[in-house]
Amino acid sequence: MIKVRKSIHPSATDTWESIAARALAATPLDEGVASLQSWNLHVFSRAPAVPGSPRAGNPILPSDLIFVEPPLLAQ
Amino acid sequence: MDIVIRNGSIVDGSGRPAYIGDIGISAGRIHQVGHVSAQGATEIDATGKTVSPGFIDPHTHFDAQLLWDGAAKPAIEHGVTTIVPGNCSLSLAPLKAADRMKLVGMFNQIEEMPLVAFEQGVTWNWETFDEFVSRIQQDLTINVAPLVGHSVLRLWVMGQAATERTATATETAEMQSLLRQCLDAGAIGLSTSFVDMDEKLQPVPSRYADHAELDALCAVLAEYNRILQVVHEFYDIDLTIGRIDQLAELSLTHKITTTLSPLFINRGDFEGVDRVIARIVEQNAAGARVWPQVQTRPIDISFSFAVPSLLFIRLRGWYRVMRFGTPATIMAAFQDEAQRQQLVQEATSMMPLWSTLILRQVQTEANQQYVGKTLAEIAELRGTDALNAMIDLSLEESLDAHFISADMGHNDDDKVGSMLRHPHVMIGASDGGAHILSFSTYGDTGYLLGHFVRDKQLLSMEEAIKKITSDTADIWAIPDRGLLKSGYIADITIFDANTIDRGPEYYVQDVPGDGHRYVRDAIGVETVIIGGAVAYDHLLGYSDEHRGQVIGAPQR
Repeated sequence: MIKVRKSIHPSATDTWESIAARALAATPLDEGVASLQSWNLHVFSRAPAVPGSPRAGNPILPSDLIFVEPPLLAQ
Repeated sequence: MDIVIRNGSIVDGSGRPAYIGDIGISAGRIHQVGHVSAQGATEIDATGKTVSPGFIDPHTHFDAQLLWDGAAKPAIEHGVTTIVPGNCSLSLAPLKAADRMKLVGMFNQIEEMPLVAFEQGVTWNWETFDEFVSRIQQDLTINVAPLVGHSVLRLWVMGQAATERTATATETAEMQSLLRQCLDAGAIGLSTSFVDMDEKLQPVPSRYADHAELDALCAVLAEYNRILQVVHEFYDIDLTIGRIDQLAELSLTHKITTTLSPLFINRGDFEGVDRVIARIVEQNAAGARVWPQVQTRPIDISFSFAVPSLLFIRLRGWYRVMRFGTPATIMAAFQDEAQRQQLVQEATSMMPLWSTLILRQVQTEANQQYVGKTLAEIAELRGTDALNAMIDLSLEESLDAHFISADMGHNDDDKVGSMLRHPHVMIGASDGGAHILSFSTYGDTGYLLGHFVRDKQLLSMEEAIKKITSDTADIWAIPDRGLLKSGYIADITIFDANTIDRGPEYYVQDVPGDGHRYVRDAIGVETVIIGGAVAYDHLLGYSDEHRGQVIGAPQR
């Protein structure tokens, strides 16, 4: 079996913080958030949802794949 | 017999070796293969020619074109007899009148279909999928196996909220019901997108769906044994593998076929591509059905400053000027010294790319001397740099200077050839009918049979034909097509294996509203039969026969 980078499907209300709290529970929250953002530049670099929308300020989309571990080369 | 094809080299789509024989056609179907003693009302001498099933193109965006051109020109000339439109979450039905302009905007943004083509080429006289099928069936020469787009289902059910949030349980159930109606009316499956942006550069509606919504729609696909197509984050290997695992889960849960496209094979990342294929093989060995689509042609992009090119999508300032500007405002942006300076600054890091671009077309006599030269060469002659040369030429030509970035990737013959041959890879992803101002999406099958089969000998003719006929028909559950076999529908392509190819790319004005597009003529394709009638002959052109069908739709 090839090694596959671990990822999750976010729930409708997930944020960086809620994913970090769940997937990186042993890591301090701000560190976990920073790690998630650095492992998911495809999401972090995206403009967040516009003000006034139900997802305002949140760049994470419900269809995203969110990596919860670093790139394989970094492991 | 209506038609008898005699003495051709029959490559029947099964992968078995070619043989010399005749084919008799009667009442739209293949009646006899081998020796045919009866005379045909039409006799076609195929001596020295190859006779194969008509080619099936599984990834196209001919949706709009079918409304003014039921032959999807020039697909048939290239031997294609069946196309699959509606990919990447976008179809033209079901579509409420109130959402028409939203969808037009998305087609314009994502598939680069000019707005004026919709204005002048489309009479909006449908809303439901069934009505759309009836509309295109009126004048159909090519066969159409349409997907229904996930973004469109969301728009119908959720309206504006489709681009804001996940669906409620009630809305998901409504989408399931709507999908059933579309499948009943002839949709061959569902398409979704994980990457596309709409006309406001916001994510398309399907990207606001969570996995549970997609899972619920796949449950409906299972009721009909239909396929799920996705466009994924093809620029990233780990994300691609993640999507393969997601599709495998959906496939195993619902016992459905899934496909993702495109899979590009670029130098510098062969190892990544090998990991993708290894994961596909593992998941399929576990019982899933996940088919990556690989295109045959290398990547190149042509552009002028008049339309927003894919090439500028990472340069936000440039892209916004082109995406939301008129020719006058685009000109003004580059004529304004301060704004030009900002734009130049933004694009300077890509100087190596600009230097390699080739000027392919201008209008003025004065600049004809530069056509065919790279921007680096032109810059040297003009005493500037490549980026400023590109801007100056565009201004001098009132934006009608055309450049090409040639051979950008997917161009290692041995590696691409090995992928095209791979038993777990589907040949597809042509994008036929899309990106019409960036590149020609026609002729991929000629390139496969000319370049990879004849010239490079990386596949046998029998393998290649099987890949673009019976394999595609099997994967997409298209019945009675893809083989030269008694009882099958007579969709047949006759070509010269010694010459088949794609012709050079050129710019033509044949889009409604005096619009342009890049096309390629076919080389070596002699006769194309669809539904038992000659649809195209290389000497006579298109016939008046309209035997195309919407596959899966009740026949009217």
